[in-house]
Order: sequence, then C-alpha cells, then structure tokens
Amino acid sequence: MEITDLPPDIARKLKFHRVTRSIRRTPNIFADTSDFTSIDYGDVLVVDDRYLLVTGYTKEGRFGVDEQVKQWVPRTEDLDSGQKQIVKLVFHETFEITLGQFTITCFRNPEKEASILELVKDHPHFMQGYGALDGADNLVRILDIILGSRLDRYIHKGPESHEQYFVEKLPVILKQYLKCLEGIGMLHKNGFRHGDIRRDHILVEYDTELFRWIDFDYDFYLPEKPFGLDMYELGNILVYLVARDDFQPRSILEHPEMGQEILDTIEDGDLSLLSQNKVTNLAKLFPYVPKSLNTILMHFSRSAPVFYETVDEMYSDLGEVVDRMG
Amino acid sequence: MAENKRFLIAVNGTEASTKALNYFGALFGPAKDIECILLNIYPAPPPHYYQSGKSLPDYQLEKEKGAQTIFQGSEDILIQHGISPEIIKTKCVMAENKTISQVILDSREEVDCGTIVVGKRGVSKAEEFLFGSISSNLIHQNNNFAVWVVG
Repeated sequence: MEITDLPPDIARKLKFHRVTRSIRRTPNIFADTSDFTSIDYGDVLVVDDRYLLVTGYTKEGRFGVDEQVKQWVPRTEDLDSGQKQIVKLVFHETFEITLGQFTITCFRNPEKEASILELVKDHPHFMQGYGALDGADNLVRILDIILGSRLDRYIHKGPESHEQYFVEKLPVILKQYLKCLEGIGMLHKNGFRHGDIRRDHILVEYDTELFRWIDFDYDFYLPEKPFGLDMYELGNILVYLVARDDFQPRSILEHPEMGQEILDTIEDGDLSLLSQNKVTNLAKLFPYVPKSLNTILMHFSRSAPVFYETVDEMYSDLGEVVDRMG
Repeated sequence: MAENKRFLIAVNGTEASTKALNYFGALFGPAKDIECILLNIYPAPPPHYYQSGKSLPDYQLEKEKGAQTIFQGSEDILIQHGISPEIIKTKCVMAENKTISQVILDSREEVDCGTIVVGKRGVSKAEEFLFGSISSNLIHQNNNFAVWVVG
C-alpha cells in the first residue's frame, strides 16, 4: 500500500502531523504487519479500517535487565480520531523460563490475548482493547493506554517504615489485589491463563487507583495443571506486597532491623517453594504480620502441607484476612 | 459398582508404568477370568505446535504410532507374567481440553472398569505444585472404584 492509496483527509493529516514532519523520509504504509521489524517510527498501520500512525514504542524490562524496546508493540495515533493506543503485532516467540530447578516452555499466543480481551470487555481490572486482522490475517491487538504506575513502584510511595506501610497502606492494597485475584479466577473458569503474572503486569491507574492486569499474550503448556504457574505467581506477588520487597538471606543480613539474629531463625521450610532463597515466612521478619495472613503466604513455601488448587480458595482466605485488617 | 474384574492400566512406556505392569502381572499372572485394558493418553499438541505449520492429524499419527510401540512393550511384560494376550485390550486417547487424569477417569467410566492401575513417578512437592500429579488427582477424585498407585 502506498501513501497515494490513503483517503485524502488521512493523507493530509499524515503530511502535517508533527511525527511526519520530524522524519526525513516518506512514511511507509503497512496493511500487512507480518514483518514488524521493517515498521518504523512515522509509518502508518492500516488495521480495522483505521490508519494508525506509529508515534513510538513501548518498553519493558525483566527484573535485573534494562528496559528494552518492544518493536512489535508500537504506540500509535489514529489519524482520523486522534485516539492514542498501543498496537500489539503478531510475534510468535517461544522461549523457556526457569523456576527453581524447572524449565517451562512459554510462547506468545495472540489468539488467547484477543479472546481474553473479548471476555474482559468493560471489566475494570483488565486492560481494554480488541483484536483485529490486518491485511495478511495477522491477529493484531489494539489496546487502550492505561495511565498508571506499575504496582511494584506504586507500593513504594508513601510511608517509609514497613510497619507504617503494613498498617496504613497494605489493607487498601490487598483490597485491590483481591479484585485482581477475582479477575484471574474468572479467566481460569473460562479456560484461560493470564500466562505472565508479574508484579509489573498490574498497573495502578492514576486517577482511580484501580489495579488493572495487562499483557496476557504469554502462554505456557502444563497439561496436567494448566493454571499452576499462574497460581504460583499470584502467591509470589502477595508475598512481595506484604513484605514490600523480596527478602533473601543476604538482604536479611544487611537489613538494619534484622541482621544475623533474624537470619538464624530462617529454616529451609520458610523459603519459597520455587524461587531460590526467597523468604516466604514473613512473620519471622515482621512480627506484626498476623498468623492468618502468614498462613496464606506459607501455602507457597517449601513447608506447605497443601497448596491452593484454585484462585477461589486463595481469594476466600485472603478476603477473610483483609476484612479483619479493616 | 463398576466391573470388578476389569482393570484399566495407564501406560506410557516409563519406568513407573513398567513397575505398575510388573506389579499387576505378578499379582494376576495365570488368571484368565480378568480383563485388562491398556490405556495410553497423550496430551493435545501445545498451541505453538501449529505455528511450525504442522497439523493435528500429523501430531495424532505420530502419537498413535508411539502408542503402538508402548502397547507392544506393555503386552510383552504382562505376557511374561503369564497373562493371556486374549484378555488384553488397548485404548489410545488424546487429552483434548482435559487433564490426563480426567481422561483416565472418563475412560474408566466408558469401559466400566472397577480398578485403575497407574505407576507413581515420585514427584517432588514443587513439581506437584507446578506440574500436577496424575496419581494424586486420581486418588482425590475416585468414587465407587479402586485406584492402585504402584510406587
């Protein structure tokens, strides 16, 4: 497709757009997004009878790795309406993640993400958007931008001391997290996994402070326990929210209020079931963590006698604790 | 009550499955008035399988071919214990939108067996949490029939 194929009003808007004026080349028009690596800043995507100008790219960092540009996830502006959205192009990537001693094959599944977007339409705790086929039948997802803060950054705003955080802020955070659990439970009941549950995949919207799940195009293949990894990661986030950090033996030793004395109390059963050296038994680090809450955390520890099989079980236990926290 | 003299033995060619067959064979070796159904279940192809351009029939053909080899090896073990080949039947199923354990349960109901026999892999706690355990799932879901988990 060429610029001359664009409707005249769209071609005019493109010509005078600040992005177009900032580049020294003629924009390319892509009705077929198969080769996303050839799509650049200032190009136009034609999807769903819309003309979406690429105005930038999203970035994402894995823990310990610098943020990297996701070239298959451009930021766009609709040349007709001016609406700013994120577009996820099809990127079939298969990779392996390591959890403790285990390796799990993960892959990107655009169909799953598009199906979930349909399922969660108007759900306040999920990102919103829709799937559409481009000219080459690639299932592109067009997503609304959430103006918000990553959950792992959000919890660090406010009180300095952990105890103050625990008393003043955590009950509110957990109430919102319960809503997130409810949302994942709903996905599971409909046969979908989130697939990439991480603390930076919940955004806290600036104006409403609603917690909202993002990025559900990852999938994994665990035929006997299809939701096991999602469950584990939900527990992982909960431990992080309660501790407001990850605690390993080294960080306990270096912590001004903990040190060797607390470290000496940590046993193998206090550690996470799958994450090496991460302490799950937070009552040993923070004595004011109530037993009822700590019991939930211990379901994800090496000494867990039973596991949560469903999100509903975890939701029910956490709901009772949050009610008591006030 | 399901048919008491009909046994469903889940086989997959692993050491655990061989143990279960040997246990069963040693127990029932010369018996002629029983019936055993060897069941091989394979999971549905992972979604990324299709991304390589392969089709479901390709996958099923490959898996069913593998199942025939497993059945042959399993029958040999039972025959070595004196079990007559005439009382051995086979069944191969793909677990589509179901867990392996659920397909075992469904198959048991379909063929009306009184006993399910499976080998125990001996998974760790972490492995069970993440990947699940077929034998645990069977034990927790049995009703009106027996489950033998051979370790």
